[in-house]
Amino acid sequence: MGNVIEVQNLTKEYKNIKAVDALSFEVREGEILGLLGPNGSGKSTTINCILSLLNFSKGSIKLFGSEMKPDAYELKSKVGVVFQDVAVFDELTVYENIDYFCGLYIKNKGIRKQYIQDALTLVGLEEFTKFRPKQLSGGLLRRLNIACGIAHKPKLIFLDEPTVAVDPQSRNNILDGIKQLRDNGATIVYTTHYMEEVEILCDRVIILDKGAILASGTNDELKELAKIEEKITVEISNLDARYIEAIKQFETVDMVTYSDNLLLITYQKGKNNLVALMDFLKQEGIEYSKIYSERPTLNDVFLELTGKELRD
Amino acid sequence: MIVFKTFLRVLNQCKVPIILYTVILVAFAGFNMQASDSSAGFMASKPDVLLINEDDNTGITRGLTEYIESNCTIVDIKNDEDAINDALFYRDVHYVIYIPQHYGEDFLNGLNPEIQIKSTGDFQASYAEMLLSRYIKVAAIYARYIEDEQELTAKIGHTLSKQTEVEITSTLDTNRLTKSALYYNFANYSILAGCVYVICLILSSFKSEPIRKRTAISSMEYKKYNRLLLVSNSLFAVVLWLFYVLLSFVLVGNVMFTAQGLVLILNSFVFTLCALTIAFLIGNLVKNKNAVNGIVNVVALGSSFLCGAFVPVEWLPNSVLTVAHILPSYWYIQTNERLKTMEALNFGTLRPILFNMGMLLVFALVFTVAANLVSRAKRKIG
Repeated sequence: MGNVIEVQNLTKEYKNIKAVDALSFEVREGEILGLLGPNGSGKSTTINCILSLLNFSKGSIKLFGSEMKPDAYELKSKVGVVFQDVAVFDELTVYENIDYFCGLYIKNKGIRKQYIQDALTLVGLEEFTKFRPKQLSGGLLRRLNIACGIAHKPKLIFLDEPTVAVDPQSRNNILDGIKQLRDNGATIVYTTHYMEEVEILCDRVIILDKGAILASGTNDELKELAKIEEKITVEISNLDARYIEAIKQFETVDMVTYSDNLLLITYQKGKNNLVALMDFLKQEGIEYSKIYSERPTLNDVFLELTGKELRD
Repeated sequence: MIVFKTFLRVLNQCKVPIILYTVILVAFAGFNMQASDSSAGFMASKPDVLLINEDDNTGITRGLTEYIESNCTIVDIKNDEDAINDALFYRDVHYVIYIPQHYGEDFLNGLNPEIQIKSTGDFQASYAEMLLSRYIKVAAIYARYIEDEQELTAKIGHTLSKQTEVEITSTLDTNRLTKSALYYNFANYSILAGCVYVICLILSSFKSEPIRKRTAISSMEYKKYNRLLLVSNSLFAVVLWLFYVLLSFVLVGNVMFTAQGLVLILNSFVFTLCALTIAFLIGNLVKNKNAVNGIVNVVALGSSFLCGAFVPVEWLPNSVLTVAHILPSYWYIQTNERLKTMEALNFGTLRPILFNMGMLLVFALVFTVAANLVSRAKRKIG
């Protein structure tokens, strides 16, 4: 499969500040690429440069093998964008809004009608066609925003935090819709703050910070970068400090913290740790109410790479 | 086509304000036309005069009193200074003529006797004074050549009874022309408010940042998109203007088919073009739809009051009119006012009107350049 997006050495400067610093990456046809990064990391600037909404200082951007320019209307016809800000007309109904944005690409009324119907079905808004945006809940409004961006069946879709402030039902609906778009052959660039969405959806992830790539790869490849392999959390009340010191002496333990009656232990290697810990607690007669083990998440990887939480 | 179709859909949401502006136009213009109907008619009237004659009622004096009595309304008030002063104060009488003893005799003897008067100083008093003065002047001229008192009074009476027939040859119905000018003065508000309200709302929808970005990344050429918006908005302004022109034909009728009526229509068209450019400028500046109502009030109501659309221009203080020069409405209304009483249209009379229209076009040009500059500045991201 070829590359749908090729970004080479992209640099965007605002006066003396580098918003994007010599960024190079590609997106393969049919994949969902997750762009992860805290606020100000350069995600939106990168997307705006790719879409020719922003001029950039250096580098090159190719979509479908051709150079992307503001007047590359042929290329633009293959691209759909769902911005974080809802971009719909308050004066139009749900159907009229989708009709308008689809109409910017599709002239044929018959085809457009079918495409609108498909978009409505994809986001589950069939029952709301005559509603105006102000009559919709936040979740339904987000779905309409997505429908307006993808109704013309683009081959490349940019989704910029489409699930921000969305109820769980709408979020599930949106995530299912995105998977369906990928299954229908679209290539997707997805930015979000929600790690679990990236883990569910994305085939590949790029972690950005300060306009540069910190790491990239599949979920598993990124997790390999983390020093830890397992996290165990135990709910214990009034744990004596000597037991904490004893646990720290375990062979593969990386770090032990205890606060608010929660004992958190991270391990560099991830085998037999839970059994060993339970044996220790039983042997010492320590009572606990809950114990569970987790694999490291992308958030842990992100924390380790950047030293800050994704939402900082 | 989809842009125009969506334009119409958004425009459909603005129909209530447009109807409201039209109702205001019809109601105010209708009311003022009625008022101008009652005040425009002519009715002959006589000044109220008190005649206190202390001379005997013979010869010159009798001639004078008869002349005054036939041209004025003689009121009956007690010959008491306080009563007369009260009557003057309350306008029961406007002019008091005191004819002294031996006036006729002294006049014939060439002694130039004086007649005392009291006056309210208003136009009725001026008219009475003019009648008195006229009689005395004519009498003085004839008295130089005619000695016989009877012949003298007969001659004066004959001279003063002569009347000049005046025939109005103009076929122009100035009353209706005044009404049509009034209507078009009020249309200043409706055209300006309609254009600014609708175009601002439409532009703030179409050019809101998220929609602008989504349109900019679409496969529709952005220049074409802007051109379609420009044409759609211009079309709306022209349709609105046509509607108000048709309404003027319904309200004031045939006078709109005269040359003056056609100039009124042309003037309103030039003003509509100017209003369109104002709306484009404001539409490019406004970010919040909720602000549009306030802006319409300031722009349309403000300039209508300052420039004499609602209040007759003659009533406005000079300082206000000086400030009004910087507003397009002033030049538009000045043309309407000139046309009110314009009997003949020729290069001489049209010159100031063409100048006013030229000023409106200059305003339109300035607003267009400003709107373009604002639009370009907004388009530049990064």
